[in-house]
Amino acid sequence: MIISRQKEFRDILKTIEQQNIFIIGCGKCAAKQHLGGETEVLEMKRKLGKSGKNVVGCTVLSSACNIASWDDVLTQNPDIKKAEALLVMSCGGGVSIISSVAEKAVYPALDTESLGGVCRDTTVLEQCGMCGECDIWIFGGICPIGQCSKNMLNGPCGGAVEGKCEVDERKCVWDEIHTKLKSLGRLELLKEIHHPKDHSKKRRRK
Amino acid sequence: MIREKLLSGKFTITAEISPPKGTDISGMMKEAGMIKDAVDAVCVTDNQRAVMRMSPIAACSALSQEGFDTIMHLTCRDRNRLALQSELLGAAGLGIKNVLVMSGDYPTKGDHPGAKPVYDLDSVQLLGMISRLNNGIDLSGNRLEGKTDLFAGAVSNTELTEVALMKLEKKINSGARFIITQAVFDAGKFSEFIDQVHDAGWKKIKIIAGIIPLRSRKTADFLNSNIAGVKVPDDMIRRFASSSDPGALGIEMAADLIRELRGICGGVHIMPIGTHENTRKILEMAGL
Repeated sequence: MIISRQKEFRDILKTIEQQNIFIIGCGKCAAKQHLGGETEVLEMKRKLGKSGKNVVGCTVLSSACNIASWDDVLTQNPDIKKAEALLVMSCGGGVSIISSVAEKAVYPALDTESLGGVCRDTTVLEQCGMCGECDIWIFGGICPIGQCSKNMLNGPCGGAVEGKCEVDERKCVWDEIHTKLKSLGRLELLKEIHHPKDHSKKRRRK
Repeated sequence: MIREKLLSGKFTITAEISPPKGTDISGMMKEAGMIKDAVDAVCVTDNQRAVMRMSPIAACSALSQEGFDTIMHLTCRDRNRLALQSELLGAAGLGIKNVLVMSGDYPTKGDHPGAKPVYDLDSVQLLGMISRLNNGIDLSGNRLEGKTDLFAGAVSNTELTEVALMKLEKKINSGARFIITQAVFDAGKFSEFIDQVHDAGWKKIKIIAGIIPLRSRKTADFLNSNIAGVKVPDDMIRRFASSSDPGALGIEMAADLIRELRGICGGVHIMPIGTHENTRKILEMAGL
């Protein structure tokens, strides 16, 4: 799941110059995080209207990043034609796909943060660092590129205080990796020296 | 030279110096002048606490022209593997012989909080890379025209979890020849750390204890709540509370601590809050 965050409403309002707006939500990750489902789209419609914008219509696509045909979207949502601008309440992938097919100004309502997930109703952030060479098994299934602020591969930095990362509210992931590998009886994996990532793996391949 | 002195087992004294925030090095030179001949080497920080300053390579070069032996800090925060290697080759070219490697405080801690954090390598990998450069080979396996001869060290906290100790072992395995620790205040606890490292099989590694001379109760409280890995013991804080001259007490406590540490470790590293105005006095009182 792509983890996003709602932009400040005043920042959204500041970026949209146009008057007539159509709002597009996303039924996948954004809806699951209560950031781009029907409730949030209707709330956005109300707030934009209150701020003097004319919301010509709104919809929640089943997935903003997976559009079979823009013509289909238009057929089902003919009001889009009345709009000068689209406000898309999805991750950057969805905003980008809509931008590529809609011949209108397209604005994002969310900031895309990380590749995470939902587990037992809890949203978890930064589960994958998208490095292009997955070796998460070495770290007990816990991705240090995604979860360690400094992307370290050989253990914790000295910045954690009582198990808390120096950067933000997260716990130091190295304590978790250590606990997990210990429980799996694989602490020898932590003793190995892990070499730097090959960032060329992130390039496109055929 | 610090390398020879440290390796010969003599008690070694280093002191931290920060490059200027700007181009004027006169303040830095004055600061270094206060400890000239009292310390074996000055340790020059690299955008310490993620606050942008003159590069340590330039500051080390200026200091070595004035006769100082230097240890150049090098963090993983601001440079990728290309920049780290070219910096190290440049340092060697300028006659810098010692480097101290660390991850580096995160950019949001400093004065350019929006900077892109690099961390292409971690400190273990950086130490391994220095070993390669010392063998005349770069990280990609290319042969160098002229190899480095860098004496590399690493940093460590003194209270280590099992996973942190594993990382320290990897640093030593990757080529760290000496360790400078976070500030020590309790010699007894510090010797437990030394035992921990020795028990892990590293009897030869040179350990230099970090010393932050306290100035007041306020500085102690500040360190306890702001610096990771630092714990000023309660009894020290209490002594400040009942002291009429906290400045003198801080100097006395630092000197006492250094005297205790002389039999325990390879040296001390003085990191004052503010200037080095008291450093010479502290070292003299400690009998050094």
